[in-house]
Amino acid sequence: MAGVLKKTTGLVGLAISQNPHERLKVLYTKILASLQVIPKDAAYRKYTEQIVNNRLDMVKSEPNIENLERKINCGQIEEVIQQAENELSLSRKMAEWKPWEPLIEEAPENQWKWPV
Amino acid sequence: MATLTAAGRAGSQMVKPIFSRDLDEAKRRVRELYRAWYREIPNTVHTYQLDITVKQGRSKLREMFQKSRHISDPRVIDMLVIKGKMELEETIQVWKQRTHIMRYFSETETSRPKDFLSKFYSGHDP
Amino acid sequence: MASCLLRFARQGLSRTGHVSRCSKVLFQSRYECTAAAETRTTVRPRDDVAHKQLSAFGEYIAEILPKYVQQVQVSCFNELEVMIHPDGIIPVLTFLCDHTNAQFKNLTDLTAVDIPFRQNRFEIVYNLLSLRYNSRIRVKTYTDELTPVDSSVSVFQASNWYEREVWDMYGVFFANHPDLRRILTDYGFEGHPFRKDFPLSGYVEVRYDDEVKRVVAEPVELSQEFRKFDLNSPWEAFPAYRETKDTARLESGDKKPEAK
Repeated sequence: MAGVLKKTTGLVGLAISQNPHERLKVLYTKILASLQVIPKDAAYRKYTEQIVNNRLDMVKSEPNIENLERKINCGQIEEVIQQAENELSLSRKMAEWKPWEPLIEEAPENQWKWPV
Repeated sequence: MATLTAAGRAGSQMVKPIFSRDLDEAKRRVRELYRAWYREIPNTVHTYQLDITVKQGRSKLREMFQKSRHISDPRVIDMLVIKGKMELEETIQVWKQRTHIMRYFSETETSRPKDFLSKFYSGHDP
Repeated sequence: MASCLLRFARQGLSRTGHVSRCSKVLFQSRYECTAAAETRTTVRPRDDVAHKQLSAFGEYIAEILPKYVQQVQVSCFNELEVMIHPDGIIPVLTFLCDHTNAQFKNLTDLTAVDIPFRQNRFEIVYNLLSLRYNSRIRVKTYTDELTPVDSSVSVFQASNWYEREVWDMYGVFFANHPDLRRILTDYGFEGHPFRKDFPLSGYVEVRYDDEVKRVVAEPVELSQEFRKFDLNSPWEAFPAYRETKDTARLESGDKKPEAK
């Protein structure tokens, strides 16, 4: 047990994670694996790999949970886990949608002209 | 002429269909809706305690469908079918009341005077 | 002028001895505020840092989703707007909701705008809020009367009733909506009231009829004195088309009225 475990996150529906480090490592490796499908020059892959690698390094180097939270600076560790889960589901959907392709269709003329 | 129709076809394929890809499919949906209403009318007359016979209700139903028989765009048909389905649901769930059902029959409306003399008799400006 | 008055009031206050110290301090701080922003009207000052941040984030979105994003702009009040193709509603909203750098978890508003003479007359507007980064974003897309739009209920639960409202008021059909039906209008109501071509008086009027013992609806019949319509639209909508009333058109030969 690293440090004193807190009793609650204070957020409804968000339970305390018993071993956040392992959970985060699993999630981050999964995200990185699912990003392999996306072409290398796609901006989404580039930026997400950057975020995930950055966080993975911090998780690996920092055993203390409180310090880790302060380093990541994106809420409690449970929230960080949730963000990773969302990112994972998003990266899988992104591979399907292929948003790095060129624009499907230009807007009709004057569509975004305002005031008309 | 040929190029025109080809362009027209391409144009009609470009638009995103609501449900039906062609006119036959849209017509099938209309028939489904008609049947559903047709079967529901006895229940409606019973639950709302309407002062009409089932036969009157069904002839009114036919009239309402005949009103839009000239429409041939599958998307417009689909939109009307969607609205008709919503009305049917409101009727089945008894969200409507008697007044809403009887509005189809418009009993109290007097027909507008059309020719000159009747306009004159009613003393009403056009 | 205002600052003069304030100074005078302050002196007056400090002279009257019974004013408690606390309130005097409060007053001073308020005084400083007004003195600083004295010359300007009450417009929020321009915030260049936030402006730059928002435009950088807009570019970030446009770089990641080039398939759907048609245009990104930051308005003068620091509102980030992303214009997208209607096919991209689900991908763009899901991205904004789930991406670690965005986290727009909250759909604050969803509505439509009707501009009748455009090819796609309805604009659908999504307002999102990110609690994590304390920032807002507006996503806009377009459609016409007959083109269905993908429902965003699978991404945001909150859009359920908003989409019902847009359907009811504008007649925009949302595909794959779990429960699309009327929400504001009465059963049996026909038409979509927020469309610009919907008459202000409506199509039917309702009254109680003694003979049939129920409420009946009849087509609106306006008596003559109500038929004098003010042709200016009641919706203050398109300032570019508004006619300026006071500028009397002067022919070149005419004398100006004030020259008399």
